[in-house]
Amino acid sequence: LLIFGAVSLLGNEFGTLLRYPEIGAALFYPPYAILTATLVLSPRRDWPSYILVSVFTHVLPHVAQWPLSWVLLADVANLARALVATVMLRWLFGDRPRLDGIRELMLFIGSAVLIAPAVGATIGAANVVLHGGSATYWRPWSAWFMSNALTGLTMLPMFLIAIPAGAASLRRARRRRVAEALLLALALACTVVVLMHTTSPWAPALPLYAPLPALIWAALRFGVGGASLALTAVAVAAVWSVDRGGLFVLSSPVDSVLALQLFVLLTTIPVLCIAAVASARYGAVRLYRALLASLQDHVAILDARGIVLEINNSWRLTADTADVQRFHRVGPGDDYLAACRAAAERGDADAARALAGIQSVLGRGQRRFEMEYDREPGGGREWWVMSVEALERLEGGAVVTRANVSARRRAHLEIEEQRRELSHLARVAVLGQLSGALAHELSQPLTSILANAEAAQHLLRRQPADLHDLSEILQDILTEDRRAGQVVHRLRALLKRGEMRLQRVDAGELVREVLELARGELITRRVTAATSVDRDLPAVLADRVQLQQVLLNLILNASEAMSATAPAERTLLLTVRAASLRDVQVSVRDCGTGIPPALIERLFEPFVTTKPEGLGLGLSISKTIVSAHGGRLWAENNPDRGATVHCLLPSAPTETIATPADEGAHEPASAVGD
Amino acid sequence: LTAEAVDGSRVSVAIVDDDAAVRVALRRLCEAVGLTATAYASGGEFIESLQTGAAGPDCLVLDIQMAGMTGLEVHRHLADRGVRLPTVVITGDDAPEIRSRYVAAGVSEYLRKPVGGTELRAAVERAIGKLDGDSRGTGGGAS
Repeated sequence: LLIFGAVSLLGNEFGTLLRYPEIGAALFYPPYAILTATLVLSPRRDWPSYILVSVFTHVLPHVAQWPLSWVLLADVANLARALVATVMLRWLFGDRPRLDGIRELMLFIGSAVLIAPAVGATIGAANVVLHGGSATYWRPWSAWFMSNALTGLTMLPMFLIAIPAGAASLRRARRRRVAEALLLALALACTVVVLMHTTSPWAPALPLYAPLPALIWAALRFGVGGASLALTAVAVAAVWSVDRGGLFVLSSPVDSVLALQLFVLLTTIPVLCIAAVASARYGAVRLYRALLASLQDHVAILDARGIVLEINNSWRLTADTADVQRFHRVGPGDDYLAACRAAAERGDADAARALAGIQSVLGRGQRRFEMEYDREPGGGREWWVMSVEALERLEGGAVVTRANVSARRRAHLEIEEQRRELSHLARVAVLGQLSGALAHELSQPLTSILANAEAAQHLLRRQPADLHDLSEILQDILTEDRRAGQVVHRLRALLKRGEMRLQRVDAGELVREVLELARGELITRRVTAATSVDRDLPAVLADRVQLQQVLLNLILNASEAMSATAPAERTLLLTVRAASLRDVQVSVRDCGTGIPPALIERLFEPFVTTKPEGLGLGLSISKTIVSAHGGRLWAENNPDRGATVHCLLPSAPTETIATPADEGAHEPASAVGD
Repeated sequence: LTAEAVDGSRVSVAIVDDDAAVRVALRRLCEAVGLTATAYASGGEFIESLQTGAAGPDCLVLDIQMAGMTGLEVHRHLADRGVRLPTVVITGDDAPEIRSRYVAAGVSEYLRKPVGGTELRAAVERAIGKLDGDSRGTGGGAS
């Protein structure tokens, strides 16, 4: 608070150095910048004391020369201006303003250089007119406005940014940086001297451009704060120079002030713009350095010839280790393309792929190249992804990134495995449902074989044995044995656990196979099944066993849904037709109770079921399987009774599988497979 | 009791099974063990044969799992019409709850497929004997 008071007093003294003689407005008014910066940077509860001190320091030097009412009203104008600027700056930038960028600079100018000084000038000019200081309102208004706008532009950034930032970084500044700052100060001092002792006959306008080198140096290297500090020094020197006679001393004092203000204004704005852009660029560079350093992924930046310009820490750490393949072990200055080429010539297929990809991006053939590769460095299998992204700049180049995606890949494989496991379990569960029917299916041929064999034994005991009968019996035994074998074979395929194997499948034939599997169950449930298979259907690309599982599930569901239907009406219709040029649609239609409308949308979600003892997994697994085939599974209620589940499957490319002419053949289940 | 019926002729059985191969094989087996056998492809076909007035069989060998009328339905149909026929049921799916359902319906002879000749013949004889015994005990006649 003491420092603030002292600085405010000094500022007021400075303000009186040069004023519009007849209006009483200062040319520069540092207290505006001092008060605003202090308020912005300090907590709100301290504001009253600062405001009190600022009023006091303003009244003290002025009250002797001016009427008290004038001084107090001027104080109101000063406070209003500072508060407007403070509130706007806080709202725009919080309590630690940074002006790193043109946008931020423009917002700053709009609020602290245009609006706040305009508010102050409106009150201040009224004060002047009230006290008879001016006949017109416009003159004092523009004088007040200009002086505060210039103060906001040159000095406010210094108080807001340079002083707090300088104080904070003084302790940890590197020696080289301090030396540069001192050198800059020296250059500025020279400039100031030149500015104050001008009127050299050979370069009359020297003071106008002499400050530029030092100012731009400050802007480029020390940001908006540094530039503001330098600009303030130049402005102060310029004000001083008017007192001592110089470039800005013109015929009338008013013209002198105007000339000085224009000089400061036209110098300040471009210099601050340069400073804002420069600090934005520094910010961007720091951001990209931090980004590179923080990444676990390995990053290298290449020029257009494939020479490594820069690598991040992750890349550096693995550059000399066996963690990466040999062609990846390059550092700054190395030729990445050459490393890839050498490895490719030794037969490294990954290196050859990488080489082609990098070349195509560097040659602007494509913007981005990505490749996945896996390796077995000893500690287990690893999966990596390499991305090459073109650098969109005139001189070209690319950014290469390597990431170890083993964890993600392993999780993915695990999910796949679990999905397979679940689907297998579901299949086993479906077969469990069928166990009774399957036992029947298998015991039929066994019964026939045993009975035939025993009958044959009896025949052989007779003399003479009837060879004709015997041969007939043996033929039946052979046939029945094969029948039993087929049942076992069908079961084994369904019970087997295996990877998804896509092959061309005739959907009509598949429907017939599944009906054969379900035959026993359909008989037990008194369900009559009918099929309608289109002629000349395209084949679908499918895993036969998985698709069987889906159809079996749908058929069993449909049969169960009809348990409340009268036995004579338990009809199941399986339709296979070409849904479009590319799709085959298999529909399973029942005459059951239908699906409750509330469930029809969620029917395929896990644990949603219409059956009292259902677990609700069959349909969700079926949907997963059909989706994995690129198809679609959905259900709808029939207009009359029951529901239909449709399964749409994309057809396999090229050629159709000719199906037997069985379109519209409605055969009862008992005849299927005979 | 032997394979000879009370009147001295061979015991005749009717085989009802919807599976052609099983039907033929069972008929051969019955004949091999000294039974006279006629085979029917369905319960309906057998019931029809009874209505023609021809002499009924001494025993019925009935498959449980058939399309159309199931074994139990054939049995009930006959019982409802007062036909008390010794019955042996054979099944591929030997589930306890199914067995109890047949026992409740009065079928005592229950064989699991595959079935051997001796076993089948013994079951047929037991079924005939039991029914005869029951008839004597209760005075016969069911409704």
